[in-house]
Amino acid sequence: MPVIANNLGSPLLAKLPRGDAIAHHGELLQGVFEDDHGGLHRGLVTLPLNGLRSSAWIELDAGGTLGVKPNCRVKALRAAKMTLEHLGNPNLGGRLVIETDIPVGHGYGSSTADVVAAIRAVAAALGARLLASTIARLAVAAEIASDAIAFETEALLFAQREGKVLEHFGGALPPFVLVGFKADATAGVDTLGVAPARYNSEEIQLFRVLRGMVARAVREQDARLLGKASTMSARISQRHLPKRHFEVVTGIADHYRACGIQVAHSGSLYGLMLDAQSATRDSISSITTVLENAGFQDIGVFPINTEEISYVL
Amino acid sequence: MSFEIDYFRALETPRLARLGPNVAAAAFPLMKLMPARFILDQAEKSGELKAGAHIVETTSGTFGMAVALLAAARGFRLTLVTAATLIDQAYQRRLERLGAKVVALADERGDGNQSGRLAHLKAIMETEPGVFWTRQYDSAGNWQSYARLAELFVRSMGQVDWLVGCIGTGGSLCGTGTFLRQVFPHLKIVAVDTHRSVLFGQPLGKRMLRGLGNSVIPANVRHELVDEVHWVGAYAAYHQTHSLLRNQGIFMGPTSGAAALVGDWIARSNPDAVVAVIMPDEGHRHADTVYNDDWLAKLSDWPCEAARAPETLASIEPRAEWEWTRFEWSRRHLDNVLSAQAGPS
Repeated sequence: MPVIANNLGSPLLAKLPRGDAIAHHGELLQGVFEDDHGGLHRGLVTLPLNGLRSSAWIELDAGGTLGVKPNCRVKALRAAKMTLEHLGNPNLGGRLVIETDIPVGHGYGSSTADVVAAIRAVAAALGARLLASTIARLAVAAEIASDAIAFETEALLFAQREGKVLEHFGGALPPFVLVGFKADATAGVDTLGVAPARYNSEEIQLFRVLRGMVARAVREQDARLLGKASTMSARISQRHLPKRHFEVVTGIADHYRACGIQVAHSGSLYGLMLDAQSATRDSISSITTVLENAGFQDIGVFPINTEEISYVL
Repeated sequence: MSFEIDYFRALETPRLARLGPNVAAAAFPLMKLMPARFILDQAEKSGELKAGAHIVETTSGTFGMAVALLAAARGFRLTLVTAATLIDQAYQRRLERLGAKVVALADERGDGNQSGRLAHLKAIMETEPGVFWTRQYDSAGNWQSYARLAELFVRSMGQVDWLVGCIGTGGSLCGTGTFLRQVFPHLKIVAVDTHRSVLFGQPLGKRMLRGLGNSVIPANVRHELVDEVHWVGAYAAYHQTHSLLRNQGIFMGPTSGAAALVGDWIARSNPDAVVAVIMPDEGHRHADTVYNDDWLAKLSDWPCEAARAPETLASIEPRAEWEWTRFEWSRRHLDNVLSAQAGPS
């Protein structure tokens, strides 16, 4: 089911400063990568999904206490406080409201989206302009590990625990059609509850090659090459945090000549990446039928960096 | 602004030379810097290699030079054990200027005396604690270091369909091939060897083409990765080495010439495929020989015709130095090929 950006502006909220942030569909690549000085960093390439979003509104006052609605959004609250501090107003309080259409616990990056939206709302309230790199750093500080959606749809290799960019790939991802689904829709994954994978030296060396493929795929807008890299990254992830029915998914990908598959490395999402030129309403429909019959759930179709919206079923 | 402190990373990076419409080669000034740096970096990180330690290795070839450059810059002591037949004065002086101690053992059989060299090296390690042996023949660091080369290929060429490279320790071809095949399972791997090297089942003999093939089989040679083997004779390689300088403007050694010869043929035979070639050495060490007409004129049977295409062998056998042969290895283990060769056909 395609999801359309929410339209939450109730008359009360409409007057308040607002921040938005997009969701993502897991990662195309996640592993350990070397910097220019030989240091190793955990890093990832996010697959941004700009059809789903989180919105934050904030009303500031001098009261000193900041509250959030719904009150379970503690990371967003923490991020708002840190942003107030960063912008030199640590003593302000007020009311933060989060509304989102991003499902929680499925690897859509709901918590980072809330956090980034909250940071942007605070900046808007104070009339400040924050760079994407600053927002990303604040997001990591607020939630320990964060994805790269502060950079919107820019393709980059992001150190998710340090909040810094390891490599700018210099553009957006190549166009493709993503068919997303889950093997088990009831199983949410708590991102931070998962111990980080311990990769061996051969895997770390292989991540180099995958990073090179992503760089080339962005430069040449080559979705097939991107799909080969993300499939390998998913295979490595499978050794560390196995997902159910992995071979069924790769089998379907091969059968339908998909560019490849991708996963949420610490979540439960799968994605089939289809060539945007050859994907048709019919071919997508037959793939979703096969996925449904195989027991996969929450199937959604998301055009990535394409102008076409005719894939929508 | 922060500067790159470890400039050896840049020194080990090859240039990419286009040899034809669908074939490009990584032209290394000194390829062995890649495994040498990786092996030393890993050993330093793990604590196995302590500051100022004594490093040993049994080569006077380009791996020895690479370790010597790193040992000098990083403050390690280095002993290289070699055979008198394998080292020339100029190269030995260059190694010694870098502070390396070069031990050249007698080599009466003319096969490089690898067993004598290993015995000497082990004697050093037994008498002196804390010695670090880089073990280029069987260290996993050797082949794993070539992920950097695989990365360079995919960054500049995208999908690679054929990989062509020389084989001596097996590190560069098997390492690069291992990484590329994981992401491109259809990748064909072509090993370039020379007559009278034992790596792919030829009987041991004197190899004229220096730096290619081996008289022993290192653990880093993984036969089951290899789709086809080419044995390039010294003269066939010399011709292509001269041609690389004349036509591509690159001054490489004869092992690089052998790789280019095979890579060019693979690319012409498979015009729709993308072919990557590994060229491991520069020409400077060969200025007085391969690039010297007086030296060439003294060779028996030189000048000869340049080989245009390989002869496909049904049974593995050594040939003359002007000849170029190939064999469908088909990703088999060495034992499987040898028993098939010995059995009734």
